[in-house]
Amino acid sequence: MSGAYYWRRLGYALITLFVIMTLNFIIFRIMPGDPVSLVLSPEFTPEVRQMLREMYGLDQPLWTQYLLYMKNTLAFDFGRSFVTRQPVLRELLARLPNTLMLLGTAFVLNVVVGVVLGIKMATRQGSRLETGVTGVSLFLNAMPSFFVGLLLLLTFGYYWPIFPIRGTMSVPPPTEFWPIIFDRIHHMILPVTAVSLSGYGSWYLYTRNNVIGALGQDYVLTARAKGLTQREVLYRHAFRSVLPPIVTLVFLSLPGLITGAVITESIFSLYGVGRYLVDATLQQDYPVVQGCFFVIALAVLACNLLADLVYGLVDPRIRLR
Amino acid sequence: MSELVVQDLRMYYQSRRGQVRAVDGVSFTLAPGKALGIVGESGCGKSSLGITLLRLLPPNGRVMGGSVRLGGEELLTMDEETFRKNIRWKKLAMVFQGAMNALNPVLTVGSQIAEAILAHERVTKEEAERRAKDLLAMVGINPARYGHYPHEFSGGMKQRAVIAMALACNPQVIIADEPTTALDVMVQAQVLKAISDLRQRLGLSLILVSHDLSVVAQTCDEVAVMYAGKIVEHGPVEEVLVRPRHPYTQGLTQAFPDIRADRAPIVSIPGTPPNLLSPPSGCRFHPRCPLADELCAREEPELVEKGAARHRVACHQVSVSGEVAEVRFA
Repeated sequence: MSGAYYWRRLGYALITLFVIMTLNFIIFRIMPGDPVSLVLSPEFTPEVRQMLREMYGLDQPLWTQYLLYMKNTLAFDFGRSFVTRQPVLRELLARLPNTLMLLGTAFVLNVVVGVVLGIKMATRQGSRLETGVTGVSLFLNAMPSFFVGLLLLLTFGYYWPIFPIRGTMSVPPPTEFWPIIFDRIHHMILPVTAVSLSGYGSWYLYTRNNVIGALGQDYVLTARAKGLTQREVLYRHAFRSVLPPIVTLVFLSLPGLITGAVITESIFSLYGVGRYLVDATLQQDYPVVQGCFFVIALAVLACNLLADLVYGLVDPRIRLR
Repeated sequence: MSELVVQDLRMYYQSRRGQVRAVDGVSFTLAPGKALGIVGESGCGKSSLGITLLRLLPPNGRVMGGSVRLGGEELLTMDEETFRKNIRWKKLAMVFQGAMNALNPVLTVGSQIAEAILAHERVTKEEAERRAKDLLAMVGINPARYGHYPHEFSGGMKQRAVIAMALACNPQVIIADEPTTALDVMVQAQVLKAISDLRQRLGLSLILVSHDLSVVAQTCDEVAVMYAGKIVEHGPVEEVLVRPRHPYTQGLTQAFPDIRADRAPIVSIPGTPPNLLSPPSGCRFHPRCPLADELCAREEPELVEKGAARHRVACHQVSVSGEVAEVRFA
């Protein structure tokens, strides 16, 4: 590996992070309204108001505020929520596992179903089965996940109530281990299905098209001529050669987990990062929004870096000696 | 070593507008250790012939009849699994057109050679690797480059690696489809020399598909000229290229400049190769042929020996003794 290349990448990432943090600071300063007025009841006297402004550091010059903000943000100290008065980081961490579990499961399902189906169908291009699968996948892919989610809720939560319509667990939750697990899974099925139905399609189409392209290459014809089995030709030659872009795409899509959570969690009323962000925005809870933005930005940058790194590992042409 | 006998082989591509007769009644016999060149314009069916022999047809390609026998064994009706295991690469190997892309870019060159051995023989990975290294050495590539990727090879090296790969299972026949097309003249000469040397050393039969007469003249014992899916002239290289009889072959040889001759203008054959969806009646060359008469348009000439021994021509205008008017294309 050439160290210089990766150091440069890291440098770009840090510069980007700095720019994002700065924008994140500016956005909330130029928005109309005084944050303090949101927290405070109008009945407070001007003296109390002034005291609170000092407490939040809002009486300091902008420059000082900026430096303080940078210092605290880098230490993952996002302050306290205006609404709950709890530290933002703690609230964020409490919700993160739910989000990761739900969207992580859906994401893995999307990639696995999409890629496997894509490979299988690429070998049957033009058959009735493949035409059908591609048509259905295109249709589902074009459906927004919130629409699919609402349909599912209506069908399997309301008309035919076999799944819960909200939340990540029953209230009160079961106490034993297996019932807890079962209860969690029971609550996850609808949201995961909604995300997967509208999400696997792009993986399917991407894989299918790339594998079909690879199957038309001379090296695949050579592999067949060598007397390799269909399986060997398909996996060792065709699929192996389209693996690099797919792996890269996996890493580049990871940050989408968090942003995608915004919609899904709102619809299924889940206790996760996405809904936290939506609620905070609606309630003008700036420290929370700022904290969420920072975490998302960090995730995007980290995944981009990782994608660069992994691409080098799976594609010998990029690998540097 | 065994003889390859192709008889009346027909392979049509099925398309929405009908059948494309890419290989239409091709017959030839390739004796062990001999090299046959197949020449013709683009789209005359010469590459299709190669992939038909190895049964690597695309989904719309279908064998419509004929027979291909290697050492007396019929290949066309053999079941797929037996053919894959016992014939592909083991007896019939191929060097593909544009070998630039014949190697998978994400696998090491060595492993792609070893994989061919492992597919057909019960040997250990180490043994396969050792043999792959020997093969690389045989075509003049340092065996230390076994673990390198195709993009680390030059064009000529890649082509030679592909030839090494074709030799992996000691095949009886190698079909080389435009093996030197993408290479510059110097590298082309090296590769052709490598092919000829190996062929003589290993006693291989070779089918060399090319549009380049000079390549065929250098490498082959016999040449078959294809036009619109059919062989129109076939015989020993010196016979066919020095005394071409079929007007099409005459045109082909005139289209090549002679380095020793005066600066004669290069002539080309006017017109374009026929649409194989609906080939012309009678002789397929008659619409472009200056000698064509009413018989040519009506009746298809047979490929028969005329004039010299083993020199077959399919032309009404060539007499039984091999006499034909000299054709000058403008």
